[in-house]
Formats: sequence, structure tokens, C-alpha cells
Amino acid sequence: MNLNSVSQILDFAIEKEEEAAQFYRDLAAKMGQQHVGEVFESFAREELEHKAKLIAVRQGNMTLIDSQRITDLKIGDHLVEIVLSPDLEYKQALIVAMKAEKAAFQLYQGLASSTDDANLKGILLTLAKEEARHKLRFEIEYEENFLREN
Amino acid sequence: MSDPEKKTLDLRRREMPKQPPEVRRYNFNEVALGYSAESAVEEAKRCIQCKKPLCIPNCPVEINIPAFIKSIAERDFIGAVRILKDKNCLPAVCGRVCPQEEQCEKTCVFHKKGGQIAIGRLERFLADWEAQQRELEMPEILPSSGRKVAIVGGGPAGLTVAGDLIKLGHKVTVFEALHRMGGVLIYGIPEFRLPKVIVTREVEYLRKLGVELVTDFVVGKTRSIDSILEEFDAVFVGSGAGLPWFMEIPGENLNGVYSANEYLTRLNLMKGFLFPKYHTPVKSHRRVAVVGGGNVAMDCARSALRLGAESRIIYRRSREELPARLEEVENAEEEGVIFDFLTLPLRYIGDENGWVKAIECQKMELGEPDASGRRKPIPIEGSEVIYPLDAVVCAIGNSPNPLIGATTPGLKIGKKGNIEADEKTGATSREKVWAGGDVVTGAATVILAMGAGRFAARSIHEYLSSL
Repeated sequence: MNLNSVSQILDFAIEKEEEAAQFYRDLAAKMGQQHVGEVFESFAREELEHKAKLIAVRQGNMTLIDSQRITDLKIGDHLVEIVLSPDLEYKQALIVAMKAEKAAFQLYQGLASSTDDANLKGILLTLAKEEARHKLRFEIEYEENFLREN
Repeated sequence: MSDPEKKTLDLRRREMPKQPPEVRRYNFNEVALGYSAESAVEEAKRCIQCKKPLCIPNCPVEINIPAFIKSIAERDFIGAVRILKDKNCLPAVCGRVCPQEEQCEKTCVFHKKGGQIAIGRLERFLADWEAQQRELEMPEILPSSGRKVAIVGGGPAGLTVAGDLIKLGHKVTVFEALHRMGGVLIYGIPEFRLPKVIVTREVEYLRKLGVELVTDFVVGKTRSIDSILEEFDAVFVGSGAGLPWFMEIPGENLNGVYSANEYLTRLNLMKGFLFPKYHTPVKSHRRVAVVGGGNVAMDCARSALRLGAESRIIYRRSREELPARLEEVENAEEEGVIFDFLTLPLRYIGDENGWVKAIECQKMELGEPDASGRRKPIPIEGSEVIYPLDAVVCAIGNSPNPLIGATTPGLKIGKKGNIEADEKTGATSREKVWAGGDVVTGAATVILAMGAGRFAARSIHEYLSSL
């Protein structure tokens, strides 16, 4: 894995988004309950939207904006790892997604800390924030649906 | 009708007597004791009989509230009961557990001044008064239509549909999975908030109307919806939300960690607090933590207290956000339940025998308002705290049981496992199948389930009349 230029980093990120989409598509196909399969399909579509955005950035048609600090509700941090099986429920699907986005966030943060190149560090940290934003989106969905009484 | 112009407004709600906290925390008897006839008449006389009453549209089952209150004020209790039961087949239940403060009483013209008419207490008074009479008055039942309706689930939604359709001349059979009718009214809400004798009385009323009641019958296992439809003209599914959610944190498989469903079912349905008179014991705990802040959490915490435990509520947000009825929160506080607000469970810690012995929590603070204006709780790093305990009850919510969805081809299920049904009619994606109550909305209130039952009954009757 060579991440010595912005272009290489974007290619890497695009590949990661495709991998994530495939991960959710595979899960969707395995679900015993159709409505949970549809949830994973919707997650896969979101990953493809992220991929399309990064492709647009690489082609120069769009700029990644280094946004303000993203709130971390840390809802998924203390939850157990979900064992992937065909009988998952929507609630568990959201936990899988929160944890996947957290892992992606940590990946880019780790990569950013391993380079001294300010330009590359900047793009990696921006990508980390994008993943933090995706995590927050799942945290909010989880909170609104499953933490109403908590 | 009274003329508000000529009448001095009386804004003093008549208080309803209750057992004192220091007494009731040691027994499972009902907390609130109800109005006397004198108090009820006094309270009813405060109603100014608005020309355009705002209480009726805010009642999910459309009771003519001013009319029954007027009858009480005139001491015509029988007339008042008739008006009430015309729209509500479970008035003694609704008078006790409906959130009137969020519905009919909230839109009372006196509400802004804090003197809203105590509609729920009056409803309760009437139902209890009627129960004390020798003979219940039976409503008119239309001649038989020759049509048969199966109702899945003997809870508030199903019983409402049964009560409405039997009066319209249809043959109605209710299939209940448990050994007693009533659903959440029997297994969920504790004796001290809703005595089971009242639920039994309301169910018996339906039996007297001619509703066939079948218990120990699990639709989806004993018989499928499709099989039932070979014999019945329509099916209403009101099977509730009986699949409990857990926190998904480490240690949930330890002994002593209960779902609210299990904890309350042991106490209410199986009468665990009356062991050995009843055969299913409930383990005695010294320190119980209840996770959650809704009415179910209050019920669990107050039950634990009555069983002799130190009882605490652990809730992730602040007191202002508690979803439980204020009345229930205040009752719990008076009785001695400890509240840990802005506190999030992180894990349950077990002993060498696999029993829970402590809970590790983290303190929270409210963050900046989000786009909706709500402040979300955010963990405070380094604020972890451990509470010793020997039982945890998780009361954070429920989904519908997936059984009916899994055994009924073509029945559209939402992503939270709920049956998708039309809000106004209860019609589902399957012909001849209606649904309503918690199985559609997820866990909500008794009266909303009854309202959904009423709409569905109307739609089912229209369908049966068209055959």
C-alpha cells in the first residue's frame, strides 16, 4: 500500500468504500428476515454514495471540506461485537455499522499520525472526519430508534 | 348547559387519595384509591361544558367527555357509564393508566391555569362505581351477520376490536398466547398501578357480550394466520411488542440480569410476590438497578422496592427528559427509588458463580443542541463509577415478536420488526388481515393501542358488510 500522494490516498479511500459496500451487500444477501436485508442494502447504497463523492474529488469536480469537529456520542464504543449471523435484527445492524465506521475513522487517524507530510496528513484527517460523520449518522439513528427510553 | 359567563371558574382539581408512600412501598395494593361519589360530583361540576370541546379530539377513542362529565355532575352515573362505554370497553383500565395529561386533559381550557378537569379520575370513578352495582348493563348487540373475525392477541388493541365488532353482530374469537387474557395489562403493568381483578372484570364483560376467548394459543405456532383464514372472514393482529431489547453491553448473560418483560411477568402474571400461594417464586434481591426511564422502568423499580430491595433507576439523560408519566416518577421518588440521571451502563460485572455483582457506569453531560434543538448526552471521560448490586432489570424498550411476520407470507414488515399497517384503517399488505397497537407502532400506550383497534374495527366492519 503506497500512500505517498493525495491521489494514492483517494484511490485507497475509494477502494475502502467499495469494500464496505460489498460487506453490507454480502450481509444483506445472508439475512433471514427480508426487512433486515433491506437495511443492509441501504447501508451499501450509502457507501457507494461516499465512493462517488471521493471519485468526484479525485477528478477535481468536488473539494473535500475540512469541517468543524464532529461530535462523538460514543454510543457504539461500549457495545459488544455483533456475531454476524442470518438472524440479525435492525438494532444489531446499526451496531455493526457504528463499529465499522469507528474502525474506518481510526484507520485514517492512524495513517495521518504516521506521516510528517502536512498535505497528506491534512487529507487523511479530513477522511477521518468523514468517517466520524458517518458514525455520528448511525449513532443518531440508533439513539432515535433504540434509546428513546434510555 | 352551564353558561361560563355566569359561573365562577373553579380551578381547584379535586385530589384523589393515595396510600401514603411509607405504607405503600411495602405492599402491592393499588396506590391511588379513587374518588368518592361526592368528590367525583364536585370535580365534574367544575367542567364548563365548552361549546367546542377540545378534549374529545385529543381522546384516541373519541369518548364524548363533556357529556359523561355532565351526567356525573347531575348524579346520573348510569347515564354517564352508558356514554363512556359507548366508546371505551376498558374504562377502568384507561382511567388508571392512560396518559390523560398528554391527551384530553392537556387541551382542557383550564389547563393553562393548572386546573384542568381530572378526566381520567372521573373515568376511573365511573368504571369502579359500575363494578359495584349488582348487574352490569349490557349494550345492544345487532343481529348476527354470520361473519367470523379472529383476533390475535388479548391485549388492549385486540380487546377493543373484539368489543366493537361483537356489538355489530359479528362472531369474534380472541386467540391469546398466554394463559390469561389482557396482554400487557396482565403481564406488564403491576398490581399497585392496575389491579388484575379490574382487567379480569373488563375481560369478563367481553365474554358476557359473547366474545369467545381462547388462551394458550400461539398464532404462528399453534396455527398460522393462513390456516385461521380458512375458517374466519378476517383477522386482526394485535399481538403487541413482546421482544425485549437489551443494552448489548458485556455481561448481559450473567444470572440476575433480567429483561423488564421477564421481571414483570414473574411478578404480575405468575404472581411471584405471593409465593408460595402461587407456585412461581421470584428471587429476592438486595440491590436492584433498573436501566431506562419510561413507565416500564418505573414499574420495575417500584416493584423491586416492594420486594424489599434498594432500588435505583439508571438513566442516560436528565430528569426533564424522562419519558415516564410525571405522576409515576413522583410516586417512585416518594417511595424511595434512587435516581441516577446522566448515567450510562458500560458493563455488568459477575462473580465466580456467574451472578451479576456490580454495574460499571459512566457519567454523561448534555452536549450542544443538535439540528432539532435537543441536547444529546455525551460521556464524560474518566467519570466511571461502579455500583454493587445483585440484579439488573433492562427496561429500554421492546419490538414485536417476529413469529407472525415469519409465518405469514406477504405480510409487510418494517425494519424494526413491526407489521406495516395503514394508520387510519389498520389494513396490512395482506388481504383480510388488519393490525394495530404495539405490533404496528412498537411499544406505546394502552390508549393508542385501543385507538388503533377502534379504527381497525371500523374498517373490518366495512369490509365484512361489503361481502
